Amino acid sequence: MRREISIALSGNPNSGKTTIFNNLTGLRQHVGNYPGVTVEKKTGVINYKEYKINVVDLPGTYSLTAYSTEQIVARNFIIDQKPDVVVDIVDSSNLERNLYLAVQLLELKVPLVLVFNMADIARKSGRKIDIELLSELFGAPIVETVGRSGMGNKEVLEAAIDVLNRKKRKKVEIKYGEEIENEIVRIKSVLRREKIPEFKFDTRWAIVKLLEQDNEVIDTIKKASGLKYQKLEEEIANSIKHITSILRNTPEVIIAEARYGFISGALLESYKEVDTVKLDVSGKVDRILTNRILGIPIFALIMWLMFQFVFTLGKYPMNWIDIGFEKLGALIANVMPEGLISSLLVDGIIGGVGGVIIFTPNIMLLFFSIAVLEDSGYMARAAFVMDRIMHKIGLHGKSFIPLIIGFGCTVPAYMGSRILENKKDRLVTMHINTFMSCGARLPVYILFAGAFFPAAAGNVIFSIYIIGVLMAIIMAKVLRATRFKGMSDPFVMELPPYRIPTLKGILIHTWERTWMYVKKAGTVILAISVLMWILFTFPLIGDNYSTDYEAQISEIEQSYQSGIITQVELDEKVAAIEGRMAGERLGYSAAGRIGHFLEPVFKLIGFDWKMTVATISGIAAKEVIVSTMGTLYSIEEADGQSDTLKTALGKNYPPLVGYNFMLFTLLYFPCLTAMVIFRREAGTKEMLFQVGYTLLLAWVVSFLVYQIGRLFI
Amino acid sequence: MRRWGFRHRRKNYLQTPQIGNGVLSLNDAVLGKKYRIVRINGGCRLNSHLCAMGFIPYEVFSVSDVSRGGSLCVVVKGTKFAIGRGMAEKILIREIEG
Repeated sequence: MRREISIALSGNPNSGKTTIFNNLTGLRQHVGNYPGVTVEKKTGVINYKEYKINVVDLPGTYSLTAYSTEQIVARNFIIDQKPDVVVDIVDSSNLERNLYLAVQLLELKVPLVLVFNMADIARKSGRKIDIELLSELFGAPIVETVGRSGMGNKEVLEAAIDVLNRKKRKKVEIKYGEEIENEIVRIKSVLRREKIPEFKFDTRWAIVKLLEQDNEVIDTIKKASGLKYQKLEEEIANSIKHITSILRNTPEVIIAEARYGFISGALLESYKEVDTVKLDVSGKVDRILTNRILGIPIFALIMWLMFQFVFTLGKYPMNWIDIGFEKLGALIANVMPEGLISSLLVDGIIGGVGGVIIFTPNIMLLFFSIAVLEDSGYMARAAFVMDRIMHKIGLHGKSFIPLIIGFGCTVPAYMGSRILENKKDRLVTMHINTFMSCGARLPVYILFAGAFFPAAAGNVIFSIYIIGVLMAIIMAKVLRATRFKGMSDPFVMELPPYRIPTLKGILIHTWERTWMYVKKAGTVILAISVLMWILFTFPLIGDNYSTDYEAQISEIEQSYQSGIITQVELDEKVAAIEGRMAGERLGYSAAGRIGHFLEPVFKLIGFDWKMTVATISGIAAKEVIVSTMGTLYSIEEADGQSDTLKTALGKNYPPLVGYNFMLFTLLYFPCLTAMVIFRREAGTKEMLFQVGYTLLLAWVVSFLVYQIGRLFI
Repeated sequence: MRRWGFRHRRKNYLQTPQIGNGVLSLNDAVLGKKYRIVRINGGCRLNSHLCAMGFIPYEVFSVSDVSRGGSLCVVVKGTKFAIGRGMAEKILIREIEG
């Protein structure tokens, strides 16, 4: 029986933590979320010697203050889950900054292993450190690794096990200077006097946090101590006042200075050679990539390349998948007798699931590109370059990337919004992404613009795209001013040094996202496609056709047999009648009835029940609108190019209604798959808000356009 | 907004160094020159965060890029950061001679 132990990996962003995690766990990873928050939780299991080691990759943070969700998550994991060992990954070319987190881990008194990653780069810079001495000063073993080549993996595990089995660990205490230390002692005595219950964690640590005015800790202690807290609060306020008046700075700054002081003291002692080479922080490349004039064109070019990569290259595997599912459907339709079950399998399940699987190549290529941009260090620059423009509409520089992706497909765009750390930024970006007209809407525009504005189809379609962008800007402003009030995070972002990404890291990242998409979306979509199929199939029409189509068909067949009409004419006529039957079946089904039922509401924007049914079918996927319209107008095999359908539409509706239909299609939420993903990324409440407000907006805009337009036309 | 504990009382006695007399906000920093951080004027939450990223009093840094009207790039403790105007306003600095 192996002994089970747990290791938590912590470290600054860009310290190579993910690479180390990948090296340790390989492909045996599990990705989930921390309970209640959208912070990603990666875990992996290693069997090493007689141990079964559970590794948790904590979010990358600079510190363990309560500034961001990531930091709170990382801290609470250490406090609540009490991992056996915490391994802190440190970028050894930048020790002073990276060790700040290590000091905070020391304050938490956790069993600690320090991993000095990227040891090769540090050595090149000319620094030599007395590792043994530094390890002594920090009271934790130090292991040197090179994440890129996998050097030092085993040593990390050995050190962790060694720390775990050590009976007596050296305790290092950070001193914060006389004033703070005095106040700590004073508060301790207050706690004893007031008989406030022991803190869940170390008392000294909690007092330091109280002096730093850490919201999280204040809240927890408030809850635990009840009425007695008031006294404590007063005493803390006194301490802060005292410290501030003497040291002319607030405690949190003084304490931070003391931590840095500890680090520089330790480094000063253990440097054998002071650095001779100054590290160039990617200066030359940045002079071009974030240049005032060239920055935006370069960014636009990279975005264009990425768009091409994701959608042009993605088209081929998408085609194969499409053909594959079609073949599978045809095979089942051939093998099984025609009827409800075969229809459920072919139209419902294979159609629905196929509709989800078909996006997989896009998702894969998108996350491949995002991983390359992120790992190479360009993503932060892109945000820097775009920040000024995006800031004007209340968004973050990085929002631009999911918005661009939205023109291809909204599903990967929603997933891509994850690159935004701030929750409000992320939600606003997701809520307006639907107005970036996705590829699936294009067939609808082609059909309608062709039917109503044959001379100016291109311009009309372009105008729809522009309206979408304008709507996104307006809604971003509106949402920012109402539901998502408050500034986006004050903007401070690290611009990490440029690095060549490792293939392994990128592939693991891509694979995780793709699999998550297939697994989660696939199961939910399966259920929903069955539901949609039921809506569009039941109740069965039976013998309730308006005329006896069967008789008409047999009449035509007879006239063919007697040689009055040719084979071609026969097929045409039969197809026309079958089309009419399909139209009636659809009208008789629940979806058709809903269309009739909702007609009064849609009448105000110029839609009849057929357009209403088509709009409902568009919930499954926007391109389905075209084929539904085809069925309703009794035309088999309808696509955007279908001339008969175009003529039928042109005859039945005025151009204003045609344009309005395009507007409505643009504005209401993209499709079921997208909503399932939305729910997973942002929660049920936000998903319902997205559905509600886009429907309302679509209706209001179309209403205004139709009612005002009618006055002029 | 909810007021946490005792934060709101602090303003009464806290004397912040004023802009002027050689002290400027980070927004007024000029490309290429060296500066020293004098003070961070955020709330305690923001202060802790900025300190963790290396923005502490007495720290020497240089400005490596300024985009007009947008954010600026500074190098602090060997790492390059992009900082928005709103944030830069809160960081008070002083130029180092020579």
